[in-house]
Amino acid sequence: MKKQPEMQGRVKSISYAKWGYIFIIPFFIVYILFTLVPQFLTVYNSFFENYRIGLTQVGPNYVGLENYKALFTPQSDGTILILKYTANTFILWIIGAIPQFVIAMLLAVFFTSGRLNIKGQGFFKTVIYMPNLIMAAAFSMLIYTLFSKVGPIQLFLEHQGIIDKTFDFFAYRVSVRGMIAFMNFIMWFGNTTIVLMAGIMGIDQSLFESATIDGANAWQVFFKVTLPLLMPIFVYCFITAMIGGIQMFDVPQVLTKGDGLPNETTRTLVMYLNRYLSGASRNYGAAGAISVIIFIMTGVLGFVVYKMLAAQYQEKRSAPKYHRRRQRGENA
Amino acid sequence: MKKLFTILIVALMLVSIVACQKPKPAEQGKVFNIYAWNEEFKGFFEKYYKVPEGVTVNWIINPSDNGVYQQKLDEALLNQANAAADDKIDMFLAEADYIGKYVESDYTMDVTSFGFKNASTQYEYTIKAASDSKGVCKGVSFQCCPAAVIYRKSIAKDVLGTDVPEEVQAAIDSWEKFDAVAAQAKEKGYYMTASFAETFRAFSNNCTKPWVDENNNLQFDDQITAWIEQTEKYVQNGYTLTAGVWDQEKTNEMFATGKTMCFFGPAWYYNFCMNNAMDPNDGCVGDWCIVKGPQAYFWGGTWLLAATGSDNTEMLKDIFETFTVNTDVLKSMVKDDNQYVNNTDVVKEFAEDPNYGNTNILDGQNDIAVFYELAKDIKWENHTNYDQILNEGLQNKLQEYFKGSVDKETAMKNFYNYVKEQYNNIIVPEA
Repeated sequence: MKKQPEMQGRVKSISYAKWGYIFIIPFFIVYILFTLVPQFLTVYNSFFENYRIGLTQVGPNYVGLENYKALFTPQSDGTILILKYTANTFILWIIGAIPQFVIAMLLAVFFTSGRLNIKGQGFFKTVIYMPNLIMAAAFSMLIYTLFSKVGPIQLFLEHQGIIDKTFDFFAYRVSVRGMIAFMNFIMWFGNTTIVLMAGIMGIDQSLFESATIDGANAWQVFFKVTLPLLMPIFVYCFITAMIGGIQMFDVPQVLTKGDGLPNETTRTLVMYLNRYLSGASRNYGAAGAISVIIFIMTGVLGFVVYKMLAAQYQEKRSAPKYHRRRQRGENA
Repeated sequence: MKKLFTILIVALMLVSIVACQKPKPAEQGKVFNIYAWNEEFKGFFEKYYKVPEGVTVNWIINPSDNGVYQQKLDEALLNQANAAADDKIDMFLAEADYIGKYVESDYTMDVTSFGFKNASTQYEYTIKAASDSKGVCKGVSFQCCPAAVIYRKSIAKDVLGTDVPEEVQAAIDSWEKFDAVAAQAKEKGYYMTASFAETFRAFSNNCTKPWVDENNNLQFDDQITAWIEQTEKYVQNGYTLTAGVWDQEKTNEMFATGKTMCFFGPAWYYNFCMNNAMDPNDGCVGDWCIVKGPQAYFWGGTWLLAATGSDNTEMLKDIFETFTVNTDVLKSMVKDDNQYVNNTDVVKEFAEDPNYGNTNILDGQNDIAVFYELAKDIKWENHTNYDQILNEGLQNKLQEYFKGSVDKETAMKNFYNYVKEQYNNIIVPEA
């Protein structure tokens, strides 16, 4: 009788935790060196005047918040460029994200539905994931070639008499934004589908069964059982997609050759940053300031979205937990 | 005996030390690095220059769009002092639009420092362009770039009733006449030009003031304004397509099926832009002639600059000589590669040769004779280090206006913002 606690004590004293720490050290080293330090350097750089004129370096001179002030100085007609590009970025992301989430959710429900029992899932999953394997720039180049003035789509439509020779897909806001949103949608809906499927499959099957036995129809099952229980995964998907959206760059950059055609309506924040950083001026100050603004924006939005969406499921989940704990406490 | 032996040894050592200190010719590197923005010169280099045994030539090629070439080159040059001998740039190519930036800097070296002498046969302006403000020459150009109007004979015949160069020239020897012919061409169902910016260089090269004044203010020359006005008219009246200068939409017009009468370019334009015209199936070799056009101008040109820190100076000298004074090479470049080379003796010989004619693309016309006349007047003036970005930016931003997706005011505002983002020091009109 006396030996048991002793043995338990000895077992407890062997700590495997240190191996855990050792195994994650490489990640933290890489993270600190290549992510955290540059992040602080970016903030640091944003307070300096630091650019080039040809081969002559100007600065770095400390200028305080001048770079930020310059970014928020309105033009003669009152537009503040950085706000315009922020709006562009969000519009481009939202028109791509809506179909992305709707279709992904639909497919995830279909694929996991015991009633539909779709055959050849492996094949479909591979196919819908495929576009994500193509480099965004290459995909963008492809779409550019397809829709260019000498591309097959233009020629086909001209031949059919649907459009005339003067029509240019890249001269209209709707078509260029449409192309960008379409590309983002095609590239990312497969990824979202697979993550959401994993989320749905993690839900206890008996809940669906009991809902069905209680006479719930498919809609009710989806809205009352699947969706609430899928919330944690959905929030994760949504926030990562949003962060990706705010950083949107390669697709519009390559499609419009960096100009954000037409009239800069497809110019995103990172494209704006890019011209300062890799343009002739190598303006680290201005580019740093834009990066910091993007960082703050991402942080705030991530927090707000998380709070809004996660609040619901947190309440629902914590209630039974609290209840259980109390029960256990009473029993003890 | 022992002493004698020691003395002998010491003496031997001394001899060997002295022998080692004898001045040797500078050690030449085994790797020759060249920065370029396209394959044009690489082709000539590989065809005409025999690389010394044991030397590897590295080509580092970056496209010049959006200033990418300059950025990559600048990055490498700024790092030149710290780079290992084999990683140092030995030679780099520069274009008329930005050569000043490099020539004026310490990253290029005096060609006389490795024994190269500019020949009297090189065009004066090509030497001036490659020299800094003190007159120190830092490189050479392998081509001279007087530019002309390259027209389709069959279309000219249809529009003007003649395809003889002298008569065509008489019909388009001023911008007013050129506009009038454009209207005629339109009536017959042709385009005068295939790009909104086709005539840009003919105007911009005749500017009387630089893009940026001494106080860093951006300024518009009357020639640039004239180009904008002309293009507005051309687009409105359908005299031109709205493609960019390098777009496929434009180069497709050079196929036999094309409907465009005039193209503007120098000798390098043949190989660089007119491949469609030389297409064996769909091209139209022999249906082309060149004339001076409304206004003499030159366009571009590729200079070879010697990079400070190069350890292959003998090879640099050799390359420079090959492409400026080696008459065999230069003659072949004219005959086989449609180049207008930077050697007045060679081009003069072709210009005066009654048997010479360009049949690679033209109808056998002696184009060298035309270029020879045009090249006499080329002057190097009003260039700034900002030209590439400003010329390219203006064209890109105004293209949207010409295509009708923005109004002129917005297009100009976008251009000013573009300049501001590229060059912090240039003062633009209130955007």
